[in-house]
Amino acid sequence: MIIRKISHVLSNYENITRLFAGACLLLFIAGILLLPLPYSEKQLYPKTFDRNSSLDPYDRGGPPFEQVGIVSQYPENSPTAGFVTSYLTPLSLFLSEQTLHLGTTIVAHPGGIIDEILYNTRGLDTVVEATILFIAFAIASYIYRRV
Amino acid sequence: MWGAYSYGIGAVMVAAVIAFFALSRERDDLQKLLLLDLVEMVGLGVIALLGTDLAEALILPGLTVGIAELLALSQIYCTKEGILDRPVTGLNIEVIALADAPLILSLFLVVYGLILSGFTGGAVAGLGLVFLFLSRTFREDLNLLEMASGISWALWIFAFFVFMFLPQYWFVALMGAAVGILLKVTVKMSLVGTMWGEQHG
Amino acid sequence: MADLIGGIPLFVLEFGDELVYFTPYTITLFLLALTFTLLVLISRPERQIDIAFGGDAYRAKEITVAEMRFRRFMAIACGLATMGAMVTGDIFNFTLFTAMVGITNVGIVAAVKSRHVQDAAYQYGLVALAATVPLFAGAAVYAAVTGSLSMIELMKGTVPAVPLIAKGMLVLGVIGEGMAPFYAAKAEMFRAPGAPYVIMCSLSSLLIFLRVVEIVMLG
Repeated sequence: MIIRKISHVLSNYENITRLFAGACLLLFIAGILLLPLPYSEKQLYPKTFDRNSSLDPYDRGGPPFEQVGIVSQYPENSPTAGFVTSYLTPLSLFLSEQTLHLGTTIVAHPGGIIDEILYNTRGLDTVVEATILFIAFAIASYIYRRV
Repeated sequence: MWGAYSYGIGAVMVAAVIAFFALSRERDDLQKLLLLDLVEMVGLGVIALLGTDLAEALILPGLTVGIAELLALSQIYCTKEGILDRPVTGLNIEVIALADAPLILSLFLVVYGLILSGFTGGAVAGLGLVFLFLSRTFREDLNLLEMASGISWALWIFAFFVFMFLPQYWFVALMGAAVGILLKVTVKMSLVGTMWGEQHG
Repeated sequence: MADLIGGIPLFVLEFGDELVYFTPYTITLFLLALTFTLLVLISRPERQIDIAFGGDAYRAKEITVAEMRFRRFMAIACGLATMGAMVTGDIFNFTLFTAMVGITNVGIVAAVKSRHVQDAAYQYGLVALAATVPLFAGAAVYAAVTGSLSMIELMKGTVPAVPLIAKGMLVLGVIGEGMAPFYAAKAEMFRAPGAPYVIMCSLSSLLIFLRVVEIVMLG
């Protein structure tokens, strides 16, 4: 009897979002109860802060076209990683030299290490990510055009 | 064992519990979609707690996946509900005006502004009154809301430049940005309320 | 090493930090996904027949070529995503492939022009979107606790043990994307015509679930 009741609730697709949200709710409550979590000190791609740098939170260090060390999982697989950890366009170089924080804005784009990770060492992620975006666009445009 | 990471993840998990609790109680389809957009932020928060450059590189795909699915789902929602082209002729905020939410929000803002006192407090309280005024008006011009949105954007950008060039006045910048964002959120909220009212009212 | 259900990796392909490896277990799942993707590629879709009750009258549901073409595209994309999820050796990459399986499943169903089916697809899409939260959060906790996302490192046993909560998040996320225990709800979506494409939904969710079991056993 109870199984029939449960399967009746399950078979109504209106309920599955709320059911899944309830499952997530229980999981995260369990997560709070299972705290604390250990944090490994040996992390990949660690971040360092230099408060006096004009590129402060995003100072990746290293001049462009000179290889700097990157703590990747398998350095032997990415021999060219670390060549563009900090590149600035002439405008953003000017901004970063004249002001304290403006060099870190999107115009300056000091995201070299991010590019290294996204396109070099973890390139497969970016491929899948772009594919997901493409699939979503395909679904939306197909449905939109059909109407 | 109880390091900064554990405290951070605890806070994010509390946020997740609140968000999923709201989601598990929600019955309306559009509200579910909006709530899910908020719930996504929790996932990004857990990734951000990693605190390395890797975290930034993982947030980008995570964010993209969320946005992509949101795009597809909202299109499915539109066809499923039979929403085609709906030109916005005039704004009708009746529904939001009759509900209690704007009154409570405005009251909260005014009280909070009084507690803050001074210039910033006045700004916050004034914003609450503006919100009440906006939501109490029965027929509104789309232009007015657009103008408010534009002003708040300008305020935001101005605050941003204060951060960059005059960092010693960071508090003014913070307040400017906060009011700007709040105003923008307010406008967005009233727009959502308007669309909501047209559909159900 | 001995108690790995996947077996010892036969060979490893290197994409920077992300390794793609084949074990006897994953190679079986990979071949299954490959076979079904090829089947989808070459098979002709079925047509759904409505039979009027108590009489001889029947009519075939009208399905446009464009719709079938789109659904075949989605099914092939789903097959490719499943193959990727079977062989990838990186936790975060696996979660991305799983999210892709989820959204292609939504696409396969949502292309059908029926209010009822679209409603089911929308609800399923909401679950798939919600599932990305525990999925990515689980991968992030893996990275924070072990300091690595590579399954090969987890296999070696040199990194700290993975906490139960991270494994739980990963499994719940995969359940949401594949909706494995929600087959009853999926039956609603099977009212959508077109056999080989809808089968792809079930197969992909089954396969990603089998794979996540292997991943959870690793750390």
